[in-house]
Amino acid sequence: MKNLEELKIMRERVKKDLQLRAGKHRVKIVVGMGSCGIAAGARETMNEFLNLIEKSNKTDIIVTASGCFGFCAQEPMIHIYVEEKKPVTYRNVDTEAAQEIFNNHILNGKIVEKYLFSKGKE
Amino acid sequence: MKNIADHLFDIFENSVNAAADEVIIRIAFSDNIFYCSISDNGIGIAGDEVLDPFVTSRTTRKVGLGLPLLKKAAEDTGGYLRIKRINQDGGTNLEFEMNMSHIDAKPFGDLPQTFTDIYFAWPEIDLKIYIINDCKKDKVLDFYEIREDERKGLSNSIKNRRKILSIMQEEMKKLNIE
Repeated sequence: MKNLEELKIMRERVKKDLQLRAGKHRVKIVVGMGSCGIAAGARETMNEFLNLIEKSNKTDIIVTASGCFGFCAQEPMIHIYVEEKKPVTYRNVDTEAAQEIFNNHILNGKIVEKYLFSKGKE
Repeated sequence: MKNIADHLFDIFENSVNAAADEVIIRIAFSDNIFYCSISDNGIGIAGDEVLDPFVTSRTTRKVGLGLPLLKKAAEDTGGYLRIKRINQDGGTNLEFEMNMSHIDAKPFGDLPQTFTDIYFAWPEIDLKIYIINDCKKDKVLDFYEIREDERKGLSNSIKNRRKILSIMQEEMKKLNIE
């Protein structure tokens, strides 16, 4: 530690790091919400995930939406991004599938092959 | 698209894709006529071609059905759908009217749920909802204010989900929308 200036710079850096961490989530669920997804019931899927998160009392999981993934016949589709792991895409995710994926993949890290679309692709 | 709630969520996504960060929805319902107007501050549209199902700006597939489907649903009941650019800088206004007593009218679906879905699906969008009743316009929800509470730590997303749901259920009840 040399002077006040350096201390200030250090303080700013630590503050930024802290913000980054606070805004970070362990798991991000992205639900495809194009016209195709919505018509196939993607809103029910998203709400099922929100309910499951609420029930499990987890605060490090977020749900967001994206547009059409480009495989409309297999909607509702979701991407799951688990921290430090490659993203996984699921297809035909109805509420039942959502429960299975939440309990196995998100809580326990086991991929549910039944609804698997692809692994490791963006 | 089974109901109006689905349609509303679907066309809301157009505003998101147009890089809007503020969207205003106005709703009215009287004498069985449902009116809805959606204005955003996105990049705006070039012309009427958005109503053509075979025109889309998207690259993932070649047809765009959201707007044409809603237009059809509105016109089937004797209503209309209009979409226009707000000014040179951009912005889009879309309005539609449906006669809900018409035999071909789609059910409302769960409209309050649609608004909570929007709140979660697109956290970067500030949505303001107005209800028009007896020539009066009341702002019933402002997502910016609700998120501000969350940022300050006064509330959390689960509490806010319930809050939005109960406010909108109340408002829809007042309008006799079910």
